[in-house]
Amino acid sequence: MKKRNKHIYLLSPLYIYLILFFFAPIFILFIYSFWLKSSSGFIHTFTLQNYIKIFSNPLYLTVIRNSILIGLVTAVICVLASYPVAYAIAFKYKKLQDVILYIILISLFSSYLVRVYAWRIILGRYGLINQILIYLKLIKEPLTFFLYSPTSVIITLVFILIPFTILPIYSSLTNISIDLHEAAADLGANKFKTFFKVTLPLSKSGVTSGFIFSFVLATGDYVTPQLVGGTQGLMIGRIISDQFGMAFNWPFGSSLAYFTLFLIVLTVNLFIWIVKILKIGR
Amino acid sequence: MSSENELLIENTYKNFGNVSAVKNFNLKVEDNEFVTLLGPSGCGKTTLLRIIAGFEIPDSGDVLLNGKSIVNIPPYKRPLNMVFQRYALFPHMTVYENIAFSQFLKKKPKEEIKNKVKKMLELVQLEGFEKRKPDQLSGGQCQRVALVRALINEPKVLLLDEPLGALDLKIRKDMQIEIKNIQERLKMTFIYVTHDQEEAMVMSDRIVLMRNGEIIQIGKPKEIYNYPNSIFSAKFIGENNILDGEVLEIKNDHLVIDINGLNILTNKTSNVKIRDKVFLAIRPEKIKRIYTIENKSFDNHIVGKIEKIVFFGSTIKYYVSISEEIFLVIEEKVAEENNKHVKGNNIGDEVNLRFSKEDVDIFLK
Ligand SMILES: Nc1ncnc2c1ncn2[C@@H]1O[C@H](COP(=O)(O)OP(=O)(O)O)[C@@H](O)[C@H]1O
Ligand SMILES: [Mg+2]
Repeated sequence: MKKRNKHIYLLSPLYIYLILFFFAPIFILFIYSFWLKSSSGFIHTFTLQNYIKIFSNPLYLTVIRNSILIGLVTAVICVLASYPVAYAIAFKYKKLQDVILYIILISLFSSYLVRVYAWRIILGRYGLINQILIYLKLIKEPLTFFLYSPTSVIITLVFILIPFTILPIYSSLTNISIDLHEAAADLGANKFKTFFKVTLPLSKSGVTSGFIFSFVLATGDYVTPQLVGGTQGLMIGRIISDQFGMAFNWPFGSSLAYFTLFLIVLTVNLFIWIVKILKIGR
Repeated sequence: MSSENELLIENTYKNFGNVSAVKNFNLKVEDNEFVTLLGPSGCGKTTLLRIIAGFEIPDSGDVLLNGKSIVNIPPYKRPLNMVFQRYALFPHMTVYENIAFSQFLKKKPKEEIKNKVKKMLELVQLEGFEKRKPDQLSGGQCQRVALVRALINEPKVLLLDEPLGALDLKIRKDMQIEIKNIQERLKMTFIYVTHDQEEAMVMSDRIVLMRNGEIIQIGKPKEIYNYPNSIFSAKFIGENNILDGEVLEIKNDHLVIDINGLNILTNKTSNVKIRDKVFLAIRPEKIKRIYTIENKSFDNHIVGKIEKIVFFGSTIKYYVSISEEIFLVIEEKVAEENNKHVKGNNIGDEVNLRFSKEDVDIFLK
């Protein structure tokens, strides 16, 4: 018994790292959110003024709402698109498993910025999609809504974040023994029923964590919207980063960050709760 | 109302790459019969069971249930059920939901399902376990749930793939009897797979002994034990002393076999010639020790030295060396009186052994 407890000390580097570089900054940020900005610096006080300011200007609430919506749509598309891929490599193309996972991982290693720029090239006014459509004589003038719109932000985010949904779903599927599929078939379930009663419920954890990863990362992203979103695709991450940069209003930036964080946590828990009460699969 | 359920497997072949898992397999299983597929691991038992269940398609041949071919029916439509080697219980469902799974799919009324599940749980003495999840059960309990999950569907034939393989000996022995009792009570056809010959002997009406995908011998446990048709049967079923020899003489009513200089008499078989290489098999319990020289004559009478004595409770085994190369195992019932005073009970003692020529099985090499 005692012996086992000792191993907890092995985790101490992790704890120290997290405390120094995650919890401490986040706590300092929390304190900042109650301070005020003055021309000469920050006033150390305790006020809710920053939070009230969020509600005073509809711009902030709209952008936060749009960010969460973009995050939700991105996460839903990511999960829906990942599931068949993960299913195929887990059960159908086992031999290609390593190759496909390798490719997915490589895409994670390549620079985030490069991938966003690549999408700018594909979606742009003289980009690949427009060129092809013009070549096929489907359109005369290049379409502009691909770039600088929420759609382009979502498309780009989906492609950047999809490894974060494929991997957890894949790993939850590989934990399902093929025996269970056969047992279900043996007891009278066709492919469709086997999927909904056995496979899907048993991969719930992968779907949930994939959804949360992609939702949180998408909602908080501020580079992609800046590069492909235009004014239409403005997201809250951008505004927060501006508060810490140009505007030099750290207290307001902190309160915006905390308010958004609160909404994200709320949404995530709502999602977990929905998954629970849905009780997929008997 | 029990209709005739007859399962017929005809000329069935199945290869995996260049491994031939099932070869020229022909078997008829009668209604209410408990048939065991027995053989060493890798001999194709699981493959055959999976062909019957529909998880493998045979390369050629046919599987017929009551005269109708079922090879083209997908597994979920076959009126058969299988108990898997590693239970394959659904981990996200309770015991109740696991057992009721097939009944939910059949859209049976809730009340009826409840009653049926209750009966099934009674059958395997698991009342009160409805709400547990599989990971809260012991191996034996999991196996019971897996068994009734298949039985609730009232399959025409129940297939069991080494269902007791993962259990420890004591629970295994209890479950053997329990499964056999259930089969007799429900009057169902069971096809049971095991590599454990003792288990096969205890449970089966008939044993199908397999090797390398082929049937070696089919018969009642007693028949196979008493009349093995090959050296493989003789070695695999029960214990046997196997001796390696050559035909020396063919007499009117017996053969003389030379085992490294030791002559053993056997019954006459028609298919041997002088100098043929043969195997002899003698069951350990057929060899008797003699304590006094009686005037009765035995076909075979040899002298050896006790090398080892092992006590098994109700039986005792003597390992006897006859010569440098020849060893025999002798098994005796432990009877109270013959223990102490009888000569030849100690390691190193000389013993006189005898057995009749009828007790020696002879197989051509
Ligand atoms: N899916 C498969 N792919 C390739 N070879 C297989 C497959 N299933 C079984 N085999 C081979 O077929 C032979 C019989 O296997 P199996 O039926 O599992 O034997 P048993 O159940 O008697 O141990 C073995 O040599 C095994 O390696
Ligand atoms: Mg097997």
